[in-house]
Amino acid sequence: MDLGDFEANNSVSCRLSSAIPDVCKTEDCCLGIDEAGRGPVLGPMVYGICYCPVSRKDDLKDLKVADSKTLTEAERENLFHKLDEAKSFVGWALQILSPNTISNSMLQRAKYNLNALSHDAAIGLVQYALDSGVQLKEVYVDTVGPAEKYQEKLSQRFPGVEVTVRPKADSLFPIVSAASICAKVARDHAVKSWKFVEDLGDVDSDYGSGYPNDPKTKSWLLKYLDPVFGYPQFVRFSWSTAQSLLDSKAVPVHWDDDEEDGEKAAARMNCASMLSYFSRGKAQSAAREPHRFFTERRLQNLGTL
Amino acid sequence: MTTKKKRSSNTQNDRWVAIAADSAVEASKAGDSGPVFVSLRNPATDAASLYLFGSGDSQLYEVKAFNEDYHSWFVGQAVQRDGRLLYITPMDPLFLLLPYLMKAGKEGKFQPVQQVVMDEDYPACTRLLSCSQIQASLHHVAEEKEVGSQKFHRYSQEKTMEWLKKKVDKTARALKKSNISVGGGVKSMTYIRAKQESDAGEEDYLRYAHGLISDYISDDLSRELLKALGLPEISSPKELEPPSKKRKMSDRPVEAGEDYTKFNSADFARKPPKKMTAAQKSLAKVDKSGMKTMSAFFSPKVKTEKN
Repeated sequence: MDLGDFEANNSVSCRLSSAIPDVCKTEDCCLGIDEAGRGPVLGPMVYGICYCPVSRKDDLKDLKVADSKTLTEAERENLFHKLDEAKSFVGWALQILSPNTISNSMLQRAKYNLNALSHDAAIGLVQYALDSGVQLKEVYVDTVGPAEKYQEKLSQRFPGVEVTVRPKADSLFPIVSAASICAKVARDHAVKSWKFVEDLGDVDSDYGSGYPNDPKTKSWLLKYLDPVFGYPQFVRFSWSTAQSLLDSKAVPVHWDDDEEDGEKAAARMNCASMLSYFSRGKAQSAAREPHRFFTERRLQNLGTL
Repeated sequence: MTTKKKRSSNTQNDRWVAIAADSAVEASKAGDSGPVFVSLRNPATDAASLYLFGSGDSQLYEVKAFNEDYHSWFVGQAVQRDGRLLYITPMDPLFLLLPYLMKAGKEGKFQPVQQVVMDEDYPACTRLLSCSQIQASLHHVAEEKEVGSQKFHRYSQEKTMEWLKKKVDKTARALKKSNISVGGGVKSMTYIRAKQESDAGEEDYLRYAHGLISDYISDDLSRELLKALGLPEISSPKELEPPSKKRKMSDRPVEAGEDYTKFNSADFARKPPKKMTAAQKSLAKVDKSGMKTMSAFFSPKVKTEKN
């Protein structure tokens, strides 16, 4: 698998895709969606779709695609090659959500959570298939969140396509298994050959699985914690693992959407606290306010340097 | 999600980010002292404020800081916690001399300025007299007498008013030229009105300019200047606060201040609580069929008849 497009800039999300097989533009097709790398604190999350004509579903079974979790890495590689060779009737597309994209989405002012991000990645891929002329009739998805709601959302979004959302869909439908293999292979490659945009010198690439409970991952996170910047972009800052380490080990950073309460917050927000109303009238200080030209521009006199 | 972060007390830092005119920072002649920060008496607040003397004390600059919450600097390979931006801008030293001249003026005598401009708390104030403008501009605010080679000065209120009025006019012109919103109701300079304020009249500009100049003179002078400009005084901002709710005593029968009957009407329906926690939401979804309501446990038992 060639991840060159993603590696060129792994700070943003990237789409990779196979050529569209001609049969898929004429015959009714089914499509499977699955993701890899939802839980880890390190590396990208990859969404994958795989599609083929409904009539050729059984050919997929012959390839012995199965749930990617039950396969070894070598077996997955092997199966991906088989899928890629079956390009006469099988197509695939991937959306690689970089860890930086995930961090920024989840930590921005208007929070964009992981479920919404996942749903939108899946919708984007299905739309891509439709836009490319794939005659979609059936879509199978492994669920994210409650299956019923997700199914309703997707059905409404794509009228005329029969959507089936099922937990464990990757072991039930071969087309979903195929998608899960594509996604997992891409994620493995991306993590293994991660190109750090940061200048870290010789990076210790022994970061384990990337899952928060992996001791190797944890010690790697401790090793690469910078007191000012935190982590390289390879780390999902929005994960509580990363955040609690930052809270305890890094320099505190304050943002204006930090939640604070009480007197101090009121002072910050520049509004009078409740308590001040009770002492009103007593302490009318004689000091006069600077002209609004200065206050509007946040300009102050300095007492000392 | 995160624990409450504590902001450590402001540690002393030894550098600042500043914008200054080239003239303020360059060292002109050999032997000159070079630019230096000094603390002087602020003519408006009477408290210490920071100023800068250009090289050789030839020019005075005031120092103001742009200061907003949640700002820091990245400077080269370092982080600076203090996110302020200092502006070092030229200032007319006469503003700083005025309080001293006025004080001495009460005695009504002509005096050499060297004798007048002295301050135990701010000894650096004598350096103001070395500013190149000072000797040439003292006559704007004081009467002059020359005896032999020595000059004597006496503060003059009329002259000062004339000088300040000119300052206000100049400022008003500058405000117009730089398109500064002087009308009321503008809260933020970043908020741009779609319509240019054509309704901002001459008086608005004058009043705004007067306010600006007042940041450099005492309260008393500011009021005098307002009179001299022929602008009526406006009510103090304190009166803009809502009136106190205290009911005035009167002989008339007391009526309820609010209409409580609205709570009895049918369209006053209790609104459901706006936000539910995730736990409450999942509880709300629970299948309640076949469950007794809570109140059922407290109501008297209804005898079920056996058939």
